Order: sequence, then structure tokens, then C-alpha cells
Amino acid sequence: MTKRIRSKITRGSGELAILSLLAEQPLYGFEIARQIGERTNGALQFTLASLYPLLYEMEKRGWVDAHWQANQAGRDRRYYRLTTAGRRQLAPLREEWRSFFQALDSLAGVSHA
Amino acid sequence: MPDWKQVVSQRMARLNLPVDSKHEVFAELAAHLAETYEAARARGLMHEVAVAFTLQEVRSWRVLAHDIARARSKENFMTNRIRTLWLPSVANLLAAMLLLMMMQRLGAKPHLIWVNAIDGKFALVFYFPWLIALPFLGAAGAYLSRCSQGDTFARLTAALSPALALIILICLIAPWSLLIDGLSIYRLVLIAGGLLTWGVLPACTLLIGALPFLRGSLPSKTFIGENNHA
Repeated sequence: MTKRIRSKITRGSGELAILSLLAEQPLYGFEIARQIGERTNGALQFTLASLYPLLYEMEKRGWVDAHWQANQAGRDRRYYRLTTAGRRQLAPLREEWRSFFQALDSLAGVSHA
Repeated sequence: MPDWKQVVSQRMARLNLPVDSKHEVFAELAAHLAETYEAARARGLMHEVAVAFTLQEVRSWRVLAHDIARARSKENFMTNRIRTLWLPSVANLLAAMLLLMMMQRLGAKPHLIWVNAIDGKFALVFYFPWLIALPFLGAAGAYLSRCSQGDTFARLTAALSPALALIILICLIAPWSLLIDGLSIYRLVLIAGGLLTWGVLPACTLLIGALPFLRGSLPSKTFIGENNHA
């Protein structure tokens, strides 16, 4: 099922998606948005306007840090990398969302599996 | 290809950030738009359609400028750190110290355990009623930090702040004491004893109270805003 969920995505779900991706490897903004769209079959899609305020907020909290790096074509990209604080944040966020889906499942029979 | 940096800087001219920070934001957003445009072109879209498609990334530039200014503002960071870490820590520290002072004024007698060091004898001082009360203060510190959306580190620091303050104090005083009175096994055992009774033991009791509040978090109630459709 590839129905797009365009709205009602909480900040927490966006944080979880980004932290989970960055736990695998450092990525730049466009690539973060692209991978989230691709790996959720388009169910979650970040626009520029939704992505960057969230990334900057996470940077301010110290969950990610960023550095500029040029690719082979000479284009500068700002790569985001998970910090130790961000890694610490990931487990409780996952647990919170697991509990949320379990609660929703028991209430409305909506499974996240 | 359009000059995306110019597009961004024109539409976000009112972005309320220091100049360096503003240019960095413009460069990053422009790079994102450029890649979005190129991806659209690679899918076979005509130039005009690709530009229109790319500009759909932002519904309201004014709202985006506001969101980014708020997200990058240092003031929020300070407020967040103060709210989640410093306020609960200071409140907990003050409460612990006031409690100890009150107990001493009310005549609570310390329990003394005499220790024989090689060069002399000294007493380990325990205020058991205070130690028994500390788990409640540890719980309160961690709870206050959790209510402010503090992470595990902030909660733990807030919970242990009375013990941490005492450990820091002892670590600051100890070198001076050794410098003035000279290095001896007696002095070292005395310092270790002080760390144990005023640092480690209080930290353990505070931690016991804090444990239930270290895991889990209060769900965020903030929804991504008007232009923030994920």
C-alpha cells in the first residue's frame, strides 16, 4: 500500500525517521528526503519546507551536527551526522512510537507491521 | 537552470538571522532546490514544469523563514538547556542542601564510623535521615527534567545534581588540602572517605529514586506546521 500520508505527521515521527536514517550513515538534506520517500514507498515525503526547520532544530539540540563537503562534481552539500546525544535519543523515540502503535492497534485494530 | 541561490535569497530576504548563518541557509536550500530541479529534469519534465515542480517544495516562504529563524535561534537553545537541565538541577541541589541544613538545625545527629588510617583516625559522617530522603529528591529532579522534555542525560544530571556538586567541591578542595598539608596516606584515605560519604553514597540513593523516570518520554504534542507537510 503506497497511500501518501501528507499531513498529521508529528514532529516526533519526523525526528525518528531522520535519526534512524542518520544512524546508518551521514547524509545531506536532499538525500535524507529522497531516502525517506523511497524507503517508505512514498508514504512519508519531506518537502524542503518540512525538512530543514526540523534538521536545524535537531542540530540546535545537539542530536546531529553538520559539515560542508563537496561531491565529485564540485557541488557543496551540507552533510548531517548523528551525534552521541542523537544516538541516545533514538532508542527512547523508537520505544515511544512502538507504544503508540500498540495503543492504536488495541484501540482501532491498526497494525504497523 | 535558474539561479536557485538568488531565488532563495529574494524570497527569504526577511530571514532574521546573522549574516553568516543566513548565507549558509540560503546555500543549503538553494542546493536542495537545484537537486530537486535536476531530478525532475532527469524524469523528463520540461524546464518550466520542472521549475514549477521544484517551487512546490515551499508553500509559504514567509512561514519557512519564520520556522528556520526559530529553529536556528540560539535563544531557544539556551531556553531549552535551562529548562531541561539547569533549572531542575539547581532546584534539586537547593532542596537537598536546605533539607540537610534543616535536619542539622532540628538536631539530627550524624552517625559516625571511625576509620583507622595509618597516620591517624578519622570519622565517616552519615546523615541517615538525609540519605533516606534523597531518593525522593532524585525522583523529583528527573521528573522535572522529563516534564520539560529533557533527554536521559539531562534527567540523570538533574537527579544526581546534589551529589555531583559535592563531588566537584571535594575534587576542588582536595588538591589544595594535599598541597598545604602534604601528601600522605592518611590524607588520601580521608579524601576517599569524603567522596564515599558525600558523593558516591548520595549519588546511589538519588539514582534509586530517579530510575523510573530515566526511560521513556512524554509524547511531543507539536504537529508539523502549515507548510510542514511531510
